[in-house]
Amino acid sequence: MKPFFFGESAAPLYGVYHPPLVSPARKEAVLLCAPFGQEYMRSHRAYRQLALLLSKKGYPVLRFDYRGTGDSGLDPEQVTTEDWIQDIRVAAEELKHMSQASNLCLVGLRMGALLAAEAIKRHPDELNADRLVLWDPVLSGKDYVEEIRSTIGAIGPSPTNCIDQENTLHYNGFPMLATFREILNRYDLRSEIPGIRKLLHVVASETESSQALKRLWSQYASYAFALRECPGNWNFVDEFGGILLPQPVIQEIVNWITTGE
Amino acid sequence: MKELVVRIGKPTPLTTIFTVPKELDSSLPAVLIFNSGVMHHIGTCRVSVTIARELAARGILSARFDFSGIGDSESRSGTKPFEESSVEEIKEVMDYLQDKKGIDQFIVYGLCSGADASYEIAKIEPRVVGMVQIDPYVYKVPAWYLYHYLPRLFDPGVWHRVYQKLTGRFTPTKRMREDVGEDFVEMPSYIRVFPPREDVAKGLQQAIDNDVAMYTILTAAVSYTVNRASQYRQSFKDVAFRDLLKVEYYPTLEHILTNPEYQKVIPNRICDWMEQRALQCKKERQPALAKAG
Repeated sequence: MKPFFFGESAAPLYGVYHPPLVSPARKEAVLLCAPFGQEYMRSHRAYRQLALLLSKKGYPVLRFDYRGTGDSGLDPEQVTTEDWIQDIRVAAEELKHMSQASNLCLVGLRMGALLAAEAIKRHPDELNADRLVLWDPVLSGKDYVEEIRSTIGAIGPSPTNCIDQENTLHYNGFPMLATFREILNRYDLRSEIPGIRKLLHVVASETESSQALKRLWSQYASYAFALRECPGNWNFVDEFGGILLPQPVIQEIVNWITTGE
Repeated sequence: MKELVVRIGKPTPLTTIFTVPKELDSSLPAVLIFNSGVMHHIGTCRVSVTIARELAARGILSARFDFSGIGDSESRSGTKPFEESSVEEIKEVMDYLQDKKGIDQFIVYGLCSGADASYEIAKIEPRVVGMVQIDPYVYKVPAWYLYHYLPRLFDPGVWHRVYQKLTGRFTPTKRMREDVGEDFVEMPSYIRVFPPREDVAKGLQQAIDNDVAMYTILTAAVSYTVNRASQYRQSFKDVAFRDLLKVEYYPTLEHILTNPEYQKVIPNRICDWMEQRALQCKKERQPALAKAG
């Protein structure tokens, strides 16, 4: 793996490129779009594992941090999801440049799925993505914020999980400013994603929202749904620093990408 | 400020992020920031990034790196326990900085297992001049019982629960928990076991004898062992800390620093201490350097 900074020098993006480990390399590269907050922390290992397995199958893979997250430039208070859509576009360009791949498969976990779909809608020609994997996806920005709010309601507000006087939502150690939420609220998965030839919707457990998406999309021949039951609570914070590694889902994604070309 | 990714060591390098100040002064110590458990090098709630960038703004270089097998560093072959491999890997990063940047003094920082790695290197490595630990090894002292139980004697709620328990009417509150099979969770390969107190006291004394200044932060996570800052010093009363130890206890601070207020306060306090220590070390070595020059 090759960690590096790319993008604009004022606010560079941190990425880790996994070159294909077998030849000939595939013509399709895979871009991994990260989730938000504690979910990002908890999924780092799973994304690394996914990238490694795909690179062993000949795929060039890039995982990266949006601005204001991870090692990338800026602070969370300085960015919105509009910036993150741009970051996906920049990362896609970088990946194509590094790998010389002609087209892309985007993989998004939780909010990363919503952002990946939104990026394809906005920049279909630049991304040239024809396959998309939605992993435990967030259906819409509104739903996601509502999910966090109701979780806070259920466990009771605390200094860690609350909406502060400046209307910033704090959840498990990561802030979501009012402007950030306002923009996020505009995104919705339940509309057509242009140019996508094949789509995998994979979940670790069935929920109302996963069933709703399945009902909506199962009419399309390009849509595939997979349930691989295993723990999938990306927001859980334990005392030992254990992070989630849902092998059945990771394997399902690798199989689908490898065999579904 | 500039951030660079450097891969240190062969054949399996350690992924390291250098946060370099605009003007680098290599007579100042650099700060080495360690992983906590299996969390990658950005640190819990990205606090390591906050600290690194703040230090660069104050003119201090820092290196955040992943130990082998963690985050963006691949696993190295071999079966050395973390206590040994972490020390070797820290030395590799120190050697690199000494060789490439001419920096030969270091302040080490870590939370939880990172605090343990800080302790392991501080007790043996003469280039370490400072150590910041969040929730390091600490041991219970008799005063803990006093502060723990005395307030409860006057709490009617406690007496009510005792009565309920005695009469069989007590139902424990269901704690938020997650039942996750081990196959689905990546657990740290390093399982934290506190060494005998006497061993840690000896190690701390070795570090102090090497003039390693220490800043220790205790959170609510260790409140089962400590409920006053002074108890840290009491638990190591056989260590002559001199004026090299500063301890703070935050009873409402969570172990992984999720509280947004503390996310501002704690990195700032850490950077204040590190800056002060760095400047002090620079000042102390100036006469020696002048003599040598």
